[in-house]
Amino acid sequence: MTMMRLGLRNLFRNKSRLVIVALLIGIPFFLLLVMQVIGDSVQRQTELLKQNVNNTLQLRASGSMGHVNMMGNEDLLPQDALERVRQVEHVARVEPYVLAMTPTEGHNFAMVVGVNPGDTKRLESHGEAGNPKIIAGRDLTEADRGKRVAIIGQGYAKWAGITPENLEQATLTLDLKRTHPVIFALNRPPAPVKVVGIYASGYVFGDMQLFMPLDTFREIYGIPAGISWLYVKADSSEHLPQIEQKLRDLLGNVADIIAPTNVAEFQNTATTAVLRLSKGGIVLSAALMIITVFFVMLLVVRERAWEIGTFKALGASNSGIVLGFLTEAVALSALGALLGTLVFSVWGGAVVQRAFGVGVAPFLPAEYKDTLINALTLSSDIGPPTLGLLALVCILAAFAGSAWSIRQVVRLSPMEAIRHE
Amino acid sequence: MNNPMLAKDRNALILLQDVSKTYRKGQESVRALDGIDLAVAEKGMVAIAGPSGSGKSSLLHIIGAMDRPTNGEVIVAGQPLNALPEAGLTSFRRETVGFVFQSFNLIPNLSALENVMLPMEFNGVASEQRHRCAKELLDRVDLGARLTHRPRELSGGEQQRVAIARALANSPPFILADEPTGNLDSKTGQMIYELLKEIARERTVIVVTHAEILAQMADRVIHIKDGRLAYPSSAVVSNHEPSETEGRTTHA
Repeated sequence: MTMMRLGLRNLFRNKSRLVIVALLIGIPFFLLLVMQVIGDSVQRQTELLKQNVNNTLQLRASGSMGHVNMMGNEDLLPQDALERVRQVEHVARVEPYVLAMTPTEGHNFAMVVGVNPGDTKRLESHGEAGNPKIIAGRDLTEADRGKRVAIIGQGYAKWAGITPENLEQATLTLDLKRTHPVIFALNRPPAPVKVVGIYASGYVFGDMQLFMPLDTFREIYGIPAGISWLYVKADSSEHLPQIEQKLRDLLGNVADIIAPTNVAEFQNTATTAVLRLSKGGIVLSAALMIITVFFVMLLVVRERAWEIGTFKALGASNSGIVLGFLTEAVALSALGALLGTLVFSVWGGAVVQRAFGVGVAPFLPAEYKDTLINALTLSSDIGPPTLGLLALVCILAAFAGSAWSIRQVVRLSPMEAIRHE
Repeated sequence: MNNPMLAKDRNALILLQDVSKTYRKGQESVRALDGIDLAVAEKGMVAIAGPSGSGKSSLLHIIGAMDRPTNGEVIVAGQPLNALPEAGLTSFRRETVGFVFQSFNLIPNLSALENVMLPMEFNGVASEQRHRCAKELLDRVDLGARLTHRPRELSGGEQQRVAIARALANSPPFILADEPTGNLDSKTGQMIYELLKEIARERTVIVVTHAEILAQMADRVIHIKDGRLAYPSSAVVSNHEPSETEGRTTHA
């Protein structure tokens, strides 16, 4: 107890050094928290993806992509498919989409999706995990049914010159007569829609979409019936094969049924990369802490060799002296952890987002750089698992970082007390 | 043990028999002590004097159980130190020896009182008792009014008095003082010497010094040169009645 108390008191012997060391340990702790939050967030996203994808089937008209203005792909599922699918046992939910394409610049284009406001706004090709994150304004609501409103991806918003700041006045006019090598003109009047929200998806193509209420879409594009894509959600993933079989029996002649085998592939790839980076970051942060503790404790032992010698000459046991130094190292790490956690709590998710951008984005393919950063829901909340990790890293850093110094302490002779003279 | 000398000197507080100490520096070996035979009785002040590099400190390390001899027997307070494991030497130092260092060696972030309590804490003395005892010891060295002062707030002489109070903390049978006046002016040094002499009335005080003048103030002077005693003596003599061979010149 004596040596533990002394260890704690020793912490405050040189206050300016304590501040510097706490900062040096606090920074890697902060980075560790950032990495932990990013890892958690990506993990959550993947889990959600798996949950949503593994129990969902997609139906399209046979041989068609189902886009109402895409050359050779304009065939739609019959409207009655909706009701027929609903009757199938174990079908928990059906979500119809109607899609069109609209040219942007050069050979690029954006997707226009009509969807019931309460349904999941899935992104073509990749974002089947669920609703994208709204980064400005609001999502569609039931009250928007029939209204000329839309939410758009951040890429599309950028192309259209819409920013979060001017969102209140933002209107986008869809020109249905514009063509593209794969888009044919529809003889419909230009349709202005009010943009009420901007979302971020996590990848470039996902950010080039527009969602509007299904009935608004039908009115603008003149498609009173028919379904581009029909998402069928089972009450559990175990029932999915049974439902798939039933749907093949029911609609096999008119619909392609797409099972979820590879839909999560992209997301999984990106997730794995980010998780690997975040784990690497955690290890690096822990290593930084260990290195800091190592040098600080080495310096402390060197400076206080005569004191250690004096303790030994006065009859203190090696274990007691070691306990004092370990207490000091743990307290030092804990103080750094506290500082790092405090900074993390105060600066919040915004800093994490920026740190993620700075830390992770350089390792991502260019097309995901900005989009993925904005798409992640990062929070600065510190839950019990994070606190547990902090405590663990704290003790690990203290023990591993001071191991060499402890060895020196044990090897020091009581004669060091006299060498001081 | 068949050594007739040891059998004869069983009453000595400190008994060294043919003690040698060799240090290795790479390929080279340095013989710091060479066949030291020495017996020190209870009570009184004994000075170990000699020039720098004569082996005084090595002798002090061995008597204080801070180092082990290369050869020979060391028996202190009836305890053969050679036989003790490292932990045994630690308890021995805690219970049997009080150290006074040239640079005082007070722990800088502890008060005078806490510094004096430290050896008692290592010895498991109850909090209340060590507090009372430390206060008494500081009163005894005239520092009763400086209990809460940190070492840097005390003069050199005061710091050395705190160190002496600390050396007395566990009531050890002997005090080892290594150049206790080396960092003090002559007047303060004289005061410290007088304090140590007063303590020597009730226990043995061994002072290592290279200052001949101070050495002559001790009850008994042991000269050491090139690792050997100038006047070897392994017979137990009272520290107040020196043997002729040691060449004592003054009486306390």
